[in-house]
Amino acid sequence: MIRELTRTDAEEAFGRRTVATTALADEAEHIADACHAMAARFSRGGRLITFGNGAAAADAAHLAVEFVHPVIMGKRALPAVSLVTDPATLTGIARRSGFEDTFAAQLRAHARPDDIAVGISADGACVNVARALGEAHDRGLLTVALVGGDGGAVAALARERPPARVDHLLSARSSDPYVVKEMHVTMYHVLWELAHVFLERQGRAS
Amino acid sequence: MTGFEALYPFLYPSADEPPGGDDAREREVFAEVRRSTRDKVAEIAALRARVLATYADEVVGCAGAMAAAFAAGGRLFSFGNGGSSTDAQAVAEMFSAPGDPGAGLPAIALTADVAVLTALSNDVSFEVVFARPLAASGRPGDIALGLSTSGNSANVLRGFAEARRQGMVTVGLAGYDGGRMAEVDTVDHLFVMPSSSVHRIQEAQTTVYQVLGELTLRALAGGPR
Repeated sequence: MIRELTRTDAEEAFGRRTVATTALADEAEHIADACHAMAARFSRGGRLITFGNGAAAADAAHLAVEFVHPVIMGKRALPAVSLVTDPATLTGIARRSGFEDTFAAQLRAHARPDDIAVGISADGACVNVARALGEAHDRGLLTVALVGGDGGAVAALARERPPARVDHLLSARSSDPYVVKEMHVTMYHVLWELAHVFLERQGRAS
Repeated sequence: MTGFEALYPFLYPSADEPPGGDDAREREVFAEVRRSTRDKVAEIAALRARVLATYADEVVGCAGAMAAAFAAGGRLFSFGNGGSSTDAQAVAEMFSAPGDPGAGLPAIALTADVAVLTALSNDVSFEVVFARPLAASGRPGDIALGLSTSGNSANVLRGFAEARRQGMVTVGLAGYDGGRMAEVDTVDHLFVMPSSSVHRIQEAQTTVYQVLGELTLRALAGGPR
């Protein structure tokens, strides 16, 4: 039996976004710092490598295409690749060395020290994302994580001392994975735009 | 001055450089970048509020129609280009791999099948990459959900035309003024995000499809409120 929905259902659902959206403005400083660091990596030839599970896999692919094919005319294409788009590779790794080694195994094959690793996890509990970020940091990559909830294992990497293996932890203030995803979409749109701002400025300074 | 320079004038040297040289300029850039983030957050908050005010009833109606279609054995096909192709995949994942593992529904992103996409693009044209799979697999009572920020993507519009021919429920997400998607008569449930920023449009579209998903699953779970 299908339950009858009312306007209140829509209003309540939209309303659940409000607090997290307001809180997103509080991440402005962390976002600026991450963009500054990403621009420095791009300007010395680094590439962006993105990964995540489930809905965050779609976000990883979205973030990569933002950089490769900018929606704002005249912005230069930057090297970016997501690790989520090749099911042959992903299932091959999962079968051979376990799901937890997906992304990390790809990073071992592809990553260079100047690159940037961006891991996306709505609750921070994704073991393969945490492992890949740790692996990336150990190889010299800049590590950026987009999380929500309590940040889980991914946020724990940012709290390690010393040195933390997540350089830039960007958190959505919600434990609802749908709401977290929406905050992440805004975050990575802003990451793209403001990384270009710093990159252009660094280009002019040199 | 390019559009980007107009947006970020502080990036570009001018006659009125702040005193203090490079460090002061660096601090100024950081301050402007932080302000830019806060402005964008305010924009998306306002856009979501506007979308809710315009479409609250339509969201409920659409989720009810999707729930009815799933309940009657219908399947969902989602499609879009670029960033919207990743949204199509998130839509399919939302239904086929929901929080409750037992509540999975048949949903497929037409953008995920690289073999079909490249075969059709190579052999016929990019315009048919969504219409052809829908012609092959679509049945009356299925759901077609297409996303296009401009509302003008030719392959998305061809997809809706085919879905309508098949007797499917059609759901369209667009931006700006809706573009061609708002002009054709093949979209049963149309949601237009009134913004001229592709990024804000995509963010509001994400809210719309995720709320549609949540309400559809809630309706299907049945029982009292």
